[in-house]
Amino acid sequence: MDKATPKRTLFRRATGSRELRRQPLFTGLSWLVLLLLYAPIAVLIVFSFNDNRSVVVWTEASLRWYETAIGNENVRKAAWISIQVALTATGVSTVIATMAALATTRGGDFRGKSAAIALINQPLMIPEIVTAIATLSFFSILRKLTGISGIGWLMLAHTVFCIPFAFMPIRARLADMSDTFELAAADLYAAPWQAFRHVTLPLLMPGILSGAMLAFVVSLDDVIITLLIAGPGETTLPLYILGQIRRGVTPEVNAVSTILILLTVAMVALTFALQRKRK
Amino acid sequence: MIDARDVTKRFGEGASAVTALERVSLHVPEGSFFTLLGPSGCGKTTLLRLIAGFELPSEGEIALDGEVIGHLPPNKRPVNTVFQNYALFPHMSVARNIGFGLEMLNRPKAEISATVEEMLDLVQLGAFAARRVDQLSGGQQQRVALARALAPRPKVLLLDEPLSALDLKLRKGMQGELKRLQAETGITFVFVTHDQGEALAMSDQIAVMSAGAIQQVGTPEEIYTTPQSRFVADFIGDTNIVPAELLGYEGDKARIRFAGGQAVLANAASATLAPGAVHVAIRPETITVCDAADEAALLHGTVLDSSYFGAGSQMRIRLRGGTEVQAQVAQPSPTGCEVGLIPDTSMLQVLVD
Repeated sequence: MDKATPKRTLFRRATGSRELRRQPLFTGLSWLVLLLLYAPIAVLIVFSFNDNRSVVVWTEASLRWYETAIGNENVRKAAWISIQVALTATGVSTVIATMAALATTRGGDFRGKSAAIALINQPLMIPEIVTAIATLSFFSILRKLTGISGIGWLMLAHTVFCIPFAFMPIRARLADMSDTFELAAADLYAAPWQAFRHVTLPLLMPGILSGAMLAFVVSLDDVIITLLIAGPGETTLPLYILGQIRRGVTPEVNAVSTILILLTVAMVALTFALQRKRK
Repeated sequence: MIDARDVTKRFGEGASAVTALERVSLHVPEGSFFTLLGPSGCGKTTLLRLIAGFELPSEGEIALDGEVIGHLPPNKRPVNTVFQNYALFPHMSVARNIGFGLEMLNRPKAEISATVEEMLDLVQLGAFAARRVDQLSGGQQQRVALARALAPRPKVLLLDEPLSALDLKLRKGMQGELKRLQAETGITFVFVTHDQGEALAMSDQIAVMSAGAIQQVGTPEEIYTTPQSRFVADFIGDTNIVPAELLGYEGDKARIRFAGGQAVLANAASATLAPGAVHVAIRPETITVCDAADEAALLHGTVLDSSYFGAGSQMRIRLRGGTEVQAQVAQPSPTGCEVGLIPDTSMLQVLVD
């Protein structure tokens, strides 16, 4: 009894001191981080509803800048191009990333497998400006050689830089997934493509959705590569915003930015909803 | 039914290659409950995976009903597997899991649903058809796995340690259940386990495996009473393994002598051993304990202790040569007492090392 009592107090003190909320500064630090992360966005959103040309002086709530933005044909056109490019890039890059993930997790041990994985992920480490300039000069050569022009090049560029983003979560999910399910399917007379369609693909879907979501957001958001690749009439929403703020930030830019945030959040929410439904 | 001929399986290449099976030959009779028994790493699961088609043999061939199938992918073999962790498809209902094999074989919908119903009845899960598999207990998942593998009516059902994930009580129940399913369906079962009690209780025939080779094939009685090698005797139950001297062979019997005793005839698998030192298996329940001075005693030793187990007592005795043996008797002798031992010579088995 005498021996047990001090032990128990020791234990209690140990767990008590590990409780995160009791740590000094924990609460203050957390709020500071949250403030730094979200205050600018909150301010941007708030002033998009300001009935005034200023983005620093609040007068009255109104939707006039949304009316202006939505009424602006350039904004509508830029949004439409952004969505077209993002959807194409997401679709194609997710398919390619899925195939790459399957090859590197289910393809057995082939020569150069780790090199292949590294090569797929490498673009994430290369400074985007370098990729942008490389893509620009490479595409100029190709454009000249083929004589083809148009938005296809922009879509292609987006597809390429989306692949590693889509690849990561898909491969992670596949690597976590026991291949016994596929063996069981084969054992039950499923040909390889049937096993893929009925077993691997449905089980992999959460990973594919995460990958697609990442790809979509990354594409929607891209500035540097788009800036160098996009031809005339291929202005995406971020490029439009960038062009506008050269003439100073107006509440219209705030409104367009808010719409962009909304698009992204909607995409993330949709993915979560789909994943939950599958569970 | 299943014939494996000189099957060798190596993993890896060159110097780092590991041989999991070395020239294994095996015949599994049709309609039997056949068990591959051995410690982990003995190659029993590899052999099962070769029959299923998850691995291809490095050498040798596997035939089913006389037809060579060793090179076919798993979906082309009329063989189904119950996996150790069941591998039920988590995104499908119980019914769709069970019907999956028939669905892949493009059977008509009506036939699939009739078979699924029949299988659900067979494993007594009729009320669970629409459940998701993660809503089932371990024992129920086990039954679904069985039903799923039996639904396409395979020629052979392979079971990879299917009971190892269940607790003891459920396991005992499932042993009886598996025997019943095998008898009702008449399908050949190939069952892999490391549990000798399970193997003895359920099998028509057992193949004891060790180090990538088959040590002995026989009925549970044969394996238990006449183990041919030291490994088999050691692995099946708690046999005493006692050194003795082999004097020679007489017919199909071996003449042996324990240290300090007279020569007796013992069983021998084959007359292949040279005269000299051998090991002999003596089952604890075949030993009679007598007075140390009794002339019929073949072995002599000192009682170490004894423990009561209900039907009798288990005595531990240290023989004069130092070997420790166990004997099951009705009335144990006191600890420290010098005793003589008279084994039933018809149950003595000379072992190959």
